[in-house]
Amino acid sequence: MAPPMARCPRLPPPNRTRQPGRGGAGPWAPREAAAGSRAARRGRAGERGAGRRSGARRTMATEAAAAPGRARRGAPMYSQKELTSKKRDEFEDILEERRLSSDLRYAMKCYTPVIYKGLSPCKPNAIKSAVLQSEQVQYVIKQLAKEMGESPDIIQEEATEILDEMGHRMQLGAVRFFAFTLSKIFKQLFQRVCVNEEGMQRLQHAIQEHPVVLLPSHRSYVDFLMLSYLLYTYDLALPVIAAGIDFLGMKIVGELLRRAGAFFMRRSFGGNRLYWAVFAEYVKTMLRSGYAPIEFFLEGTRSRTAKTLTPKFGLLSIVMEPFFKREVFDTYLVPISISYERILEESLYAYELLGVPKPKESTSGLLKARRILSDNFGTIHIYVGQPVSLRTLASGRINRCPYNLVPRHLPQKPSEDIQEFVSDVAYKMELLQIENMVLSPWVLVAAVLLQNLPAMEFELLIEKTLWLKGLTQTFGGFIEWPDNLCAKKAVLSGLTLHSNIASLVDGHVVLNDKGMEDGAVGEMVFRHALAVLMCATYRNQLLNVFVRPALVAIALQMAPSFRKEEVYSCFNFLRDVFSDEFIFFPGISLKDFEEGCFLLTKCDAIQTSQQEIYPTDKGSGTVSFLSAMFRPFVEGYQLIFRYLSKEMKEAFTEKQFIPGVRNFVFQLLEKGSTQCYEALSSDMQKNALSALVQLGAVKKKKMPSGFTYNVNQEAVSKILDMFDDSADAIPEHNEFLFPEYEILIEPEEPEFPADSTDDEQGAEDTSKGAKEQEELGAAGTADEAFQSLDEETLEAMAKHETEEEKIFQMFKKQVAAEPEQIIRYCRGGEEGPLWVSGENRPEEKDIPNCVCGAKRIFEFQIMPQLLNHLQVDSLGESIDWGTLVVYTCADSCGGGSEYLEEFIWKQDYSMGCTL
Amino acid sequence: SRKGPSGAGQQRAGVSQCVPRQELLKWNGWGYNDSKFIFNKKGQAEFTGKRYRLGGMVLPTFKEWIEKTFGASLEHKTTSRASLNVNDVPPSIVNEEFLQDLRATKISYSQDAEDRVFRAHGHCLHEIFVLREGMFKRIPDIVVWPVCHEDVVKIVELACKHNLCIIPFGGGTSVSSALECPEEEKRTIVSLDTSQMNRILWIDEKNLTACVEAGIVGQDLEKQLAESGFCTGHEPDSMEFSSLGGWVATRASGMKKNIYGNIEDLVIHIKMVTPRGIVEKNCQVPRMSTGPDIHHFIMGSEGTLGVVTEVTIKIRPVPEYQKYGSVVFPNFERGVACLREVAKQRCAPASIRLVDNAQFQFGHALKPQVASIFTSFLDGLKKFYITKFKGFDPNILCVATLLFEGDREKVLQHEKQVYDIATKFGGLAAGEDNGQRGYMLTFVIAYLRDLGLDYYVIGESFETSVPWDRVLDLCRNVKERIVRECKEKGVQFAPLSTCRVTQTYDAGACVYFYFAFNYRGISDPIHVYEQIERAAREEILANGGSLSHHHGVGKLRKRWMKESISDVGLGMLRSVKEYVDPNNIFGNKNLL
Repeated sequence: MAPPMARCPRLPPPNRTRQPGRGGAGPWAPREAAAGSRAARRGRAGERGAGRRSGARRTMATEAAAAPGRARRGAPMYSQKELTSKKRDEFEDILEERRLSSDLRYAMKCYTPVIYKGLSPCKPNAIKSAVLQSEQVQYVIKQLAKEMGESPDIIQEEATEILDEMGHRMQLGAVRFFAFTLSKIFKQLFQRVCVNEEGMQRLQHAIQEHPVVLLPSHRSYVDFLMLSYLLYTYDLALPVIAAGIDFLGMKIVGELLRRAGAFFMRRSFGGNRLYWAVFAEYVKTMLRSGYAPIEFFLEGTRSRTAKTLTPKFGLLSIVMEPFFKREVFDTYLVPISISYERILEESLYAYELLGVPKPKESTSGLLKARRILSDNFGTIHIYVGQPVSLRTLASGRINRCPYNLVPRHLPQKPSEDIQEFVSDVAYKMELLQIENMVLSPWVLVAAVLLQNLPAMEFELLIEKTLWLKGLTQTFGGFIEWPDNLCAKKAVLSGLTLHSNIASLVDGHVVLNDKGMEDGAVGEMVFRHALAVLMCATYRNQLLNVFVRPALVAIALQMAPSFRKEEVYSCFNFLRDVFSDEFIFFPGISLKDFEEGCFLLTKCDAIQTSQQEIYPTDKGSGTVSFLSAMFRPFVEGYQLIFRYLSKEMKEAFTEKQFIPGVRNFVFQLLEKGSTQCYEALSSDMQKNALSALVQLGAVKKKKMPSGFTYNVNQEAVSKILDMFDDSADAIPEHNEFLFPEYEILIEPEEPEFPADSTDDEQGAEDTSKGAKEQEELGAAGTADEAFQSLDEETLEAMAKHETEEEKIFQMFKKQVAAEPEQIIRYCRGGEEGPLWVSGENRPEEKDIPNCVCGAKRIFEFQIMPQLLNHLQVDSLGESIDWGTLVVYTCADSCGGGSEYLEEFIWKQDYSMGCTL
Repeated sequence: SRKGPSGAGQQRAGVSQCVPRQELLKWNGWGYNDSKFIFNKKGQAEFTGKRYRLGGMVLPTFKEWIEKTFGASLEHKTTSRASLNVNDVPPSIVNEEFLQDLRATKISYSQDAEDRVFRAHGHCLHEIFVLREGMFKRIPDIVVWPVCHEDVVKIVELACKHNLCIIPFGGGTSVSSALECPEEEKRTIVSLDTSQMNRILWIDEKNLTACVEAGIVGQDLEKQLAESGFCTGHEPDSMEFSSLGGWVATRASGMKKNIYGNIEDLVIHIKMVTPRGIVEKNCQVPRMSTGPDIHHFIMGSEGTLGVVTEVTIKIRPVPEYQKYGSVVFPNFERGVACLREVAKQRCAPASIRLVDNAQFQFGHALKPQVASIFTSFLDGLKKFYITKFKGFDPNILCVATLLFEGDREKVLQHEKQVYDIATKFGGLAAGEDNGQRGYMLTFVIAYLRDLGLDYYVIGESFETSVPWDRVLDLCRNVKERIVRECKEKGVQFAPLSTCRVTQTYDAGACVYFYFAFNYRGISDPIHVYEQIERAAREEILANGGSLSHHHGVGKLRKRWMKESISDVGLGMLRSVKEYVDPNNIFGNKNLL
C-alpha cells in the first residue's frame, strides 16, 4: 500500500524539500534549509519539554505537519521496509578449516595482503615522524608554545611522548603469534565462527580502491581480536585499531596488541589540544597513506546491554575529514555486524549494570578469564556489510567545503552542516550494523520468556517462539534458523547453551535466580534483577528491529483517538524520549512512523484509512505483545523520571544520580510496588537522563569537575504526565493472560451522611445499612428505590429526571461506597441484583429453571468495574456490559465436582445512561 | 545578396594581410582546411598540410595508441556530413527598415546561411557535434562587418533604434558556449564580426605601446609587430585564430605570461562601444587610482556590455634568443613540488608546464617517424638511461617542458638555475627536442578532436586555477572523478583523463585537463559527455579550484557563478549591466 501519511490531506506532500521564503533556487537551497531545520528541531524539543502538556501536544502535531518540509536528506537514509526482501549473503565457518589443519602452519603461512593502490607499506616509525613533522601538528605546537611561553621543543617532546603512548608497532611476528594462539582459543570457546565470504571479497576490492574504515559493532573484547584474526585468515591487510587506553594496563597483552596493530586513545581528551592534534593527525596520516584499514567502534565502548549504543562522532569525523578536505578521493566505510550466540562477558555486564564495578582490565584478570575457556559460547556470526562510499553519502549534501577558504592544516571546528552530516552517517552505519545482526532462536525465546515470568510452560514457549519468529521475519530481522531445525530443538539448544540463565523444570521454563527463597529481600531482588538483565541482554537484540512498529503500537494505545495526527504525535513523543535508548536516524520521525505503520499493516495488526489508524481484532495479540516488549522501558523511564522530579532538587552529577536512582528503584522493588527490574540498569538510567537533557527538562552544565545536571521539575512532570496517560492506556495484561488480582470479600458498610445522623432518613439509612443486601435487593423496582433516597434527591428526580436516570443514579450511589467492587454476592437475597438500568431486566419467566427442575435464584452479579481492572475498557472496541447477573439452582443440585450449566443475564447500559 | 568582405571586395587598401578567413577554415571543425590528422593508405596516422612542423609527417605509433587508449577501431567510422545543408538553416528574419538604415551606413553585411552558421558557434564539443550531425535552433539573422570604431558606433545606434540583439564575434574560438544564440531570443540577432577591424593604428616606441583595432587575430598582430621588431608576447593556445577583442572580453591568458603577463597586465587603454555610449579612460598611463578600474568591468564581460573596438597594448622588442627544454621527473608529485619551488623562487621561465604520465605517453605517440637510425638509437639509449639506469617507471614518470626567452646569456643562466632546482626534485634534463615538441603539440592537439570524432571518440579540454597546496589533490580527484563518472554512465572503455600544470603563479597554478572517451554503445553521447564535464567541474570546485582560469564562463558555466562570486558580487555585475545596457542589446546571455 501507499505510505499512509502521504495520502493524509492534512499534511503537505512529503517531497517538498525547500522551505518557503528561501528564494534562490539551485542545488544548495535544500542544504541551507537543513541547517535551519536543525536549529528549529532543537528549539522545538526544548519547548516541548517545558511547555504545558496540551501545548506540547499541539507543538508535536504542528511538527508532524511540518516534518515533510524539513526532510532535508535527499536519498532516504534508512528504510526498514526493504529489509524483508533483502538478500543476505551465505555464511561460511572459518573454524572448520582450522579444526582440520595445523594452526602452526596457518600462523606461519605466506601472508601478503593486498594494499591500497599498490602502495608499499611503510614502517610504523616512518608514520610517527610524518605525523610529528606534519603541518597540522607543527602548527598546534607553535600555537601552544606561543600561548604558554614555552619553547616549542618542549612541546614537541610532549607530542613525541603522546605519539609513543598511542602509536601501534605492528610486527608480523606478533601477528603470527596471535594467529596461532587465537586459533587455539577460538576453537575452545566457540562452536563455529561464521563469516559471509562475499563480504570479505567486497572488502578486498575496497581495500585496493580507497582507504577503508572498518566499523564493527561492539559487544565483547573478542570483537577486535576476531576481526584481525579474520582479516589475517583472508589474507587482507590487518587493521590498525583505535582501542581505549585502559588496555595499556594489561602489560604484556597491551604490548602484544600494539604489535598486532592496535593504537590507543585516551577515553577523554577534549581539553588537550596537543593530544587531539597528534591523535587526529595520526589517524589521518594512516588513512591518507591508505596503508592499512582503520578500525574503531562507533559505539565507543562495548554495549553492556547488547543493544546498539548511540554513536560517538569524534573518531568518525576525524576519518571523514581527509575526504572533506579532498585529500583522498573517497573513503569506504564498512559496517560489520558481529553477533554472539552467547556473549563472553554476559554476567560481568549484568553485574556492572547493577553497579558492581567492572574489574579494571588487567593481565591477571584475563588469566582468570581463562576459566571460561572450558565453557561453550556457541556460534559467532560476522557479517561484513557492503562498503559504503563516503563520497556517495556526501553527494548533494556536502559539495562545497567550507575548507576551501582556510588552509587545510589549520584546526577548524566543523561547520554545523558537517556535524549534522557526520551524525547522520554515524546513525546510518549503526542501522546498517543492526540490519545484519544475526538473531539466534534463543533471542526469540528470551523475548517471550521475559513477558511470562516467573515461569512458562515449555510447549507454550515453543509455540510463541515460533510465532515471534514469523513476526521478526516480517519486520526484516535476520534470523539464523536452519531450515530443517524444528522449533523444539531450537528452543532446547538455546536453553542448553544458556543454562546459566534459564532452565526447564517440570515442563516449565524458569529463570535461574537461585537463592530466591532464602536470603534477605534485598538479596532476592538483586539476584532476580541479575537474571532478568542477563535474559534481557538477548531480548535486547530484537529491539532495534521492533522499535518502529512497537512505538506505533504503544502510540495507538496512548493516543486519545485513532486520528493519524494524534497517533503520530504520541509516536513522536516516544521517539524523542527513547532517542538515546534505540537507534533512530535523526530527523525522519515521520518516515519512521510510516515504516512502523507499514510493518504493522503487513502483519495485519492495524488498518489505516485516510485519517485513522486502528488496531484490528486479529492484531490485538501482536499489538499487546509489542507494547509488552517495550514496557520495561516505558515503566523504567517513568520510575527514573519520577525519581528526578521528586528527589533531585539541587544540581547533581552523574556519579550522584546513578546510585540515587538505583536505591530508589531498589526500594520500590523490595516493597513490591513495581516489577520493573530493568530500571536498575545503569544504562537505562543514563539514557533516561540524557533524554531529559535533550528534551530540555534537565540542564546539563559543564563544570571544572565534570558535568552537573539541574532538573526542571515542572518540565519533568509534564513529560511524566504524557507517560502516565500512556501507562493507563497500556493494558497490564499481555496477550495470554489477564493481570492477576486478589479478590477481597467484605460486607457492604452502611453509609452515614455526616450531618444527618439523627434525621429520620438517616436512621432509616443506618438500619438499612445493617441488613444492606436485603434492602438493596429489594430495590428492584423504581418505587422501592425511592424509599432509599433522601427527599432532596427525590425532588430532583421528580422534577428533572426520567425513570431511567433514577435507576442509574441509584446504582451509582450504591456503588460509590466501594467504587472498586467487582462482584456483589447475595445468594437468594430478596432484593435481587443492583440494576444499572430500568430496561432489559429479566422477568421471572425469562429465567429458565435448572436442569434438575428447580427454580434458579439470584446468586451474584459481576460489576462493570471488572472491565477496568482487566483493562478491556476501550470504548466501542472491548466487550462491555452494564452488569452480569448469575442465577443458580435454588437446590444447589449436583454437589459433585463436575461443572454445571448456570444462567447469566447481561444487562447493558441503556442509551440514556451512557453518560 | 552576399556582401561579405570575403566576397564582394569591400576590403580596404592598407589592411595588409586580410585573410578571407572563413574560406581557409573548416566549417565543421578546428583550424585550417588543409591541416588535419588522417590515416593514410597504410593505415598509419599522418598530419596533412604544411602549416605546422608536424605537417606531412607519419606518426607510426599513433594508431596503436588510439586503439589502446580508447578501445577505438579504425573499422568503426562515423563521418560528418560533407557540407552545410542550407535548407536546414533557420531563415534570416531582418526588418526591412533596419536593412535600409544599414545600407545607408555602407557597412558590409550578409544574410547568407553559411556566413550566419559560421558565426553561430564556438568550439565546444556539442557545437561541433551539431555542425556535423544536426543544426542549431537559433543562429544570427545577419552578419555585419564594421571596419572601424565609427562603424561599430553606427551599428550599436541602429540596434538600439530598432531594438535588435547584437552578439560580437571575434575569432570564434570560444569554448564556453558564449557564441551560441539564446534560443528564446525573438529579436533579430546581429552578429557583429570584428575581423575587418584589424589594423595597428600606431606604435609608440618611446612608451612601448601600440594601439590596435580589436578584431586583429593573434598571429597577425605578432607578425605585423615583428616587422617593426616588436611583439606583445601574448600567446594563448588559440593565438592563430583568436582576436585581441576576444582576449579582452574573456580575460585571456597567454603561455608566456611569466614574462609578458596576462591580458589584464598588457592592456593600457580600452575603447568600448556600449548602448549607453563609449567608455574609455582619458589617458594612457601604466596605473591610476581613480576608484575601481573600469577596465575590469570590460575585461571578462564576454560581450554582454558592448563591443571593444580599440586597445592600446604593451609591446616589447622581439627577444634575442629562445630556447626550449624539458625535464623528466620520477612522478607527478615530484614534478609539482619542483614547479612550486620554481614559483617560490620567482624564476619561472617564459613558460613552464608539467604534463602527467598519460599526457607524456600521448605526446610520445605523436612522435613522427625518425629519419635516421642514429636518432632512433639515441632515443633508445635515452630511454634506457631514464628507465633502467635511473629507475624511472615509464608508466609513472612525467615531463616538464620549458621555454626560455631573452638575451642569450641571461637565458643560459636562467636555464641553469631552473635545472638546478629540478635536480633537487629528482628531475633529469630530457633535451630541447622534447620541449619543443611539447609546445608544438599544443597547437595541433586541437585538430585531434576532429579525428577522434570520426572514430566515435569525443573529448574536450577544460581548465582551472588552484592554490599550490591543493594542486595534487585536485588533479588526482578530478581525473578519478572523470573515470568514475564514465563508468557510472555506461562508457564502455576507460576514458583518457589527463592533466597538466600549465601556468605557475606565486600563490597557485593553472591546471589544464584533457578528457576524451569512446562513445560506442551510448545513445546520447553529448548528454553523457556534458554530465561528466559538469561532474568534473563540481569536483574542481569542491577541491578548491576556480570556475575558470582563462576560458571564461559563457553560458556553459553560468550555473556556478553565484557560488563563485557570492550573491552580492553577482548583483554588482548585474547592476553594471543594467546601467550600461538596460535594453539588453548585447543579449548573448553570457556570464550573468
